[in-house]
Amino acid sequence: MKPLPRNPEPILTLCTALLLAAALYAVFLHAPAERVMGLVQKIFYFHLSCALAAFLSFTTACAAGVAYLVSRNLKWDILGAAAVEIGLVFTTLVLATGMLWGRPVWNAWWTWDPRLTTSLILWFIFASYFILRSAVEQRQRRATYCAVMAIVGFVDVPIVFLSARLWRSIHPVVIKADSINMAPAMVTALLASLAAFTALWVLLLQRRVRTLALAERILTMEHRLDREPALSTERK
Amino acid sequence: MAAADHLEIAGLCKDYEGCRALCNVSLRLEQGDFLALLGPNGAGKSTLLRIIATLVLPDRGSVRVRGADLAEDPERFRRRLGFISHHGLFYDHMSAQENLVFSAALYGVADPPARAEELLRRVGLHHQRHRRAATFSRGMRQRLSIARALVNDPDLLLLDEPFTGLDRQAASLLGEQLLLLKERQRTIIMVTHDMERGLAMASRVGILARGRLVFLEQRQRIDPATFGELYHAATSGGRVS
Amino acid sequence: MRIAWLVIRKDLAAELRSPQAMVSMLFFGFLLLVILNVAVPAGARVAPETGAGILWVAVTFAAVLGLARTFDREKQNRCLEGLLLSPLSPEALFGAKMAVNCIFMGISQVAILPIFFILYGDGFLHAPVMLALVLLLANTGFSATGTLFAAITAGANRNEALLPMLFFPLVMPLIAMAVKVTSMIFAGAGPAEYGSWLQVMAAFALIFTGLGFLFTGRIIRD
Repeated sequence: MKPLPRNPEPILTLCTALLLAAALYAVFLHAPAERVMGLVQKIFYFHLSCALAAFLSFTTACAAGVAYLVSRNLKWDILGAAAVEIGLVFTTLVLATGMLWGRPVWNAWWTWDPRLTTSLILWFIFASYFILRSAVEQRQRRATYCAVMAIVGFVDVPIVFLSARLWRSIHPVVIKADSINMAPAMVTALLASLAAFTALWVLLLQRRVRTLALAERILTMEHRLDREPALSTERK
Repeated sequence: MAAADHLEIAGLCKDYEGCRALCNVSLRLEQGDFLALLGPNGAGKSTLLRIIATLVLPDRGSVRVRGADLAEDPERFRRRLGFISHHGLFYDHMSAQENLVFSAALYGVADPPARAEELLRRVGLHHQRHRRAATFSRGMRQRLSIARALVNDPDLLLLDEPFTGLDRQAASLLGEQLLLLKERQRTIIMVTHDMERGLAMASRVGILARGRLVFLEQRQRIDPATFGELYHAATSGGRVS
Repeated sequence: MRIAWLVIRKDLAAELRSPQAMVSMLFFGFLLLVILNVAVPAGARVAPETGAGILWVAVTFAAVLGLARTFDREKQNRCLEGLLLSPLSPEALFGAKMAVNCIFMGISQVAILPIFFILYGDGFLHAPVMLALVLLLANTGFSATGTLFAAITAGANRNEALLPMLFFPLVMPLIAMAVKVTSMIFAGAGPAEYGSWLQVMAAFALIFTGLGFLFTGRIIRD
């Protein structure tokens, strides 16, 4: 029997909590309010941080997919599944915060801007990862399929972005999201927020990997008991 | 003797759903060996065959055929491989003849129609050769399946419970064909739980239990009278020497 | 190559004998062309963008029906196993199935396109050769992605509904580009204006064909 994966370090939890508190302070008290957008602009710090976490997740999932296909070790499958789960949550947050920001600033919940379109399609690709996961029962097979899905999905993202960009280059670009000038305090707030969300991401990933690994162990034990009924009666 | 090894399996391991299906299985077969592989359900017999047939990848270990690792050129190895299971592996919407011609062509046989013709006669389906396989009776389907497996005149034949569910005619046909191949020094591995038939046909006998090869012996050194007891001891307990 | 051709020929012969995939693709394609008519206001002329959108919805949904059947015939009597036991390599199998899917899509489009022009106006009929090129590029991308995921769904439990859900998110950029280029062709634009789109479409087709060849072996052996 392999030893249990270790409990996530309490230190990591503590660090994440402190960083999040610091980020909140930096965003709401340290950084000045934006002149035109006002308070709404604060969303931007969290929006970008969520986007970073989502990006980290899907990169991890793709790397885990490659690692699984090469090594056939199920621990990579667990890492990939955990990463996609968290990535999906953060992508949802990116979309939600983006809409909350877009409504007052762009006067629309949604526009088919390349970034928005890409995030939405990305969300669909990785949501379908879970549909696939639930549809395959045999574990090695599920791991292989999911690894391929994660890699193919990751490869697809730049193409999605490119096609969305080309689309816009035909029509005039109305909104440029990247022409925001920031005060130094705003940069501090942004960096604090990015750091806090990265720590949160690591924490969540570790928790999910642990939970999934435990679930896997329970399943394995159940299989063993099913296969060797003698063992279960001996134990009684 | 070392050069004559047809099949060399070393340290094969395979996990399914977290359980050991195969654990460190090693085995050598010479050209012309007929191995009967016995064992209870779930002992890993089919998994072993499927790994040799390149249908499943092992977690660890290697299979070498005439000294060359299987992973290196599986396509060439499969050219001379035969496999019979209880699945027909033929297309229902095609006629018996079309099925055999297609298979023969897949294996790169020189004259597929002629080969199909010969096999159809051999298994007694020549009169029905233009009928779609979907309309065949159970026994005819079994005979077509046997013909399909012999289409490339296999050098190594793997059989997964081949006699299970066969009608009498098909069973005796299969038995004849196997003896014919054995006479022609073809290597055969037959997975079965039919101890009597295994002892009657094989030149070597192995027992697989809980993923381990717990017994392997030349047929002539086995006493059929006491083998039943030995089998029981091997599959319920530890290793038997 | 020879061995892949055998599989292609077998599949085409089977389809010729009982055209199950073809019938469902064509029927559904026509049906969609009629249903999507609701998007057009009564008496109004169809805008090129709308026309292209309608055409591609019909084409892609018809295509996915064909893709879903990729491994149907191989499932009876475990014929897929039979192919894997033969000297056929998984890569050749992927290539053969992809080619068959591509051919089916091409044939279905040859029938769907005239109906489209009849129902939505032949004013769109500008550069048939370029339109054929767009269809060819899209078909290659669709059949590469679709064959890869058909291999995956063949090993999953609920595979009928699964394929479209995995397939459409991935090919969305390809559909978007195809609609764009088609609408430009319908509006009478020249190749210079949409050349870069065609390049991206070709890149998509190439990348996914590569991924298909790379992963099929692992997918069908697990």
